[in-house]
Amino acid sequence: MISGRGIVKTFRQRGDVLGKREVKALRGVDFTIPRGGAISFIGESGCGKTTLGRIIAGLETYDEGELTIDGVAMSSLRPRAQQPHFRRVQLIHQDPYSALNPTRTIHQALHDPLKLRARQLGASSSWMYQRARELLQLVDLDPDHVLARYPHQLSGGMRQRVVIARSLTVDPDVLIADEAVSMIDVSLRLGILSLLRDLRERLGVSLLYITHDVATARYIGADGDMYVIYRGQIIERGPTETVIANPVHPYTQSLLSAIPVLYGMEQPGPEQVKPLNPADAGTDDSGAAAAQAGIDDTGCLFADRCPFRTDRCTAETPVLGLAAPEHQDDVAETGGGRVHACFHPIPRQVAATSVQKT
Amino acid sequence: MPLATRSATGGTSDTPGAAGVRIRGLTVVYKTPAGELPAVRDINLELPAGTVTGLVGESGSGKSTLALSLLNAVQPPGRIAAGQVEIDGIGDVVGLRGERLRKVRGGQVGYVFQAAQNSLNPLKTVGKQLLDLGRSHDVDNLRALVAEAKQLLGRMGLDGARVLDSYQHELSGGMRQRVGIMFALVLNAHLVVLDEPTTALDMITQANILEIIRDIHAERGLTTLVITHDIGVVAEVADRLAVMYGGQVVEQGPVRTVLGDPHHPYTRGLIRAIPRLTGGIDEAQALPGRPPNLMTLPTQGCVFRERCPLRMEVCETVDPPRVHLAGRLVACHAMTGPSDVTPTGHEGATR
Repeated sequence: MISGRGIVKTFRQRGDVLGKREVKALRGVDFTIPRGGAISFIGESGCGKTTLGRIIAGLETYDEGELTIDGVAMSSLRPRAQQPHFRRVQLIHQDPYSALNPTRTIHQALHDPLKLRARQLGASSSWMYQRARELLQLVDLDPDHVLARYPHQLSGGMRQRVVIARSLTVDPDVLIADEAVSMIDVSLRLGILSLLRDLRERLGVSLLYITHDVATARYIGADGDMYVIYRGQIIERGPTETVIANPVHPYTQSLLSAIPVLYGMEQPGPEQVKPLNPADAGTDDSGAAAAQAGIDDTGCLFADRCPFRTDRCTAETPVLGLAAPEHQDDVAETGGGRVHACFHPIPRQVAATSVQKT
Repeated sequence: MPLATRSATGGTSDTPGAAGVRIRGLTVVYKTPAGELPAVRDINLELPAGTVTGLVGESGSGKSTLALSLLNAVQPPGRIAAGQVEIDGIGDVVGLRGERLRKVRGGQVGYVFQAAQNSLNPLKTVGKQLLDLGRSHDVDNLRALVAEAKQLLGRMGLDGARVLDSYQHELSGGMRQRVGIMFALVLNAHLVVLDEPTTALDMITQANILEIIRDIHAERGLTTLVITHDIGVVAEVADRLAVMYGGQVVEQGPVRTVLGDPHHPYTRGLIRAIPRLTGGIDEAQALPGRPPNLMTLPTQGCVFRERCPLRMEVCETVDPPRVHLAGRLVACHAMTGPSDVTPTGHEGATR
């Protein structure tokens, strides 16, 4: 189990007095990845979800807060002592085209981490070869076909499977998939997603799925929690199906409303929400610029784009964990476990639903 | 205002209103060590004037090659081997050469490139590039051109003056995409091709760009072709859908008709492979196999047969005929068999 409490990360841009800028990538984030469970981080680019993933994988430092892996607090350990803990967390990159060294065969790519693992386990070199074949079979690749090949001889979907196999070489407990299918052909995406789901069942690894594609997050972790992140802050969290079917935060609602509707098969949700000035007009990407400018941090971060804001939203800062909305009866059956950071939480049905075929 | 620009562009365009496109028997081949291989084979496709057509396909399906041939801009080692691309008011683009072709590109046919961020010059401000565009198309009144650009950018929710003064790195992904759309339209094109207009954009930005594309299409009376791998984008923005696989259009028709009841096994498989927000999670089923590339593409018979659940013997050797079925055009042997039976009654057409 991995958990984080109050993780804060601020990127400082170097420069003279005027050029100095701070970007608050994460503003006190709490999360828990249960053993064998699956959670997802949803948000726009620049919201900090990738930074959080990198922190969990030990690739990035954090300024405040505490990251705990299986009960061991990471900040109490020296970097070298942290390594065995972070080994159990492996990151699957977004781009399978740049994640593999083009001059090394798949066998070589798997060989190095396996060598490391063999030394830890005291295993022989024949074990390494056997293990490489096993892992490739595990990700539904034919070892005889793949092992001797170079990455450019494989399709995008196959490369991503190789990347997944490589991350499994060190027997991780947690896989972090950061937009793992966004660069893969549509007809092959589902194969990768179901592979990740399958690995969770067969090997008992936990999954952290980072994406802006809510539907794929649902496919991977319908039984887990969904975390909606906006400008470095979790603004809604709860069981995946609850968050999709009954979102209460206007940002979650905008995000779900923006998902294309497959007209002909689906109809749009009845209460779609459109953020104000969605056109990031005159500024840089949505929240990023405002964050850089260090505009006053009082009030709800989403207030300037929220169509339902009131005076209270700019005067006070909402905190994650307010009680579930008053409309308890709407969410009675799934209401448990959902928290949000909004003063005016009203559940709205925004997700597209299938048209019933007669 | 569009009238003012038309005079400003030196009267290159005499055809007001949208321009329809008819593609007939188009074949584009690429020269490879294994000989000339067709990336696009014998395509017939019509873009009726004033419609938005969505062209969906995976990587290597030939969708970008098809789009480039609308500009007769297929780069060597590729070449258009056969067929015509007839655009209203221009004629057959395939026959155009030299100066005339250059005028058509960017003038009457606007093209928004994939990854707009890479198609802007990082060393010049957007305004400078706009002036370059104007000069290369012999625009007399550059002031009017700038005014038109500002107005277009304003229409898309941007501060025109500020954007024209910016370098590309000062703009966000969504803003660059809008700048790309502005460049495609500022010379008053009537036919616009958008190649992956929303790839690499966030959901909310994507929804916003799609809305802009739809509105501008209606306001300016354009004929629009949107190329994408994302059926959702097409469903949001297009009137008509054409599905490409292995260099061929396998199914085309009105979007809602096709999505509501897809006929070609590839269209069906593709739609079923999309995870959805509601409904049973395991309704989404992966499509087996993988898309072909130029080398593995069968040269005769159906291009989809390797992955097809309805595969028959005839698929190996005979190109599937294109049949009209329930308002769309499908290229599949399995659809031709019992031609008297109503297509909805066909096995497998229902879930």
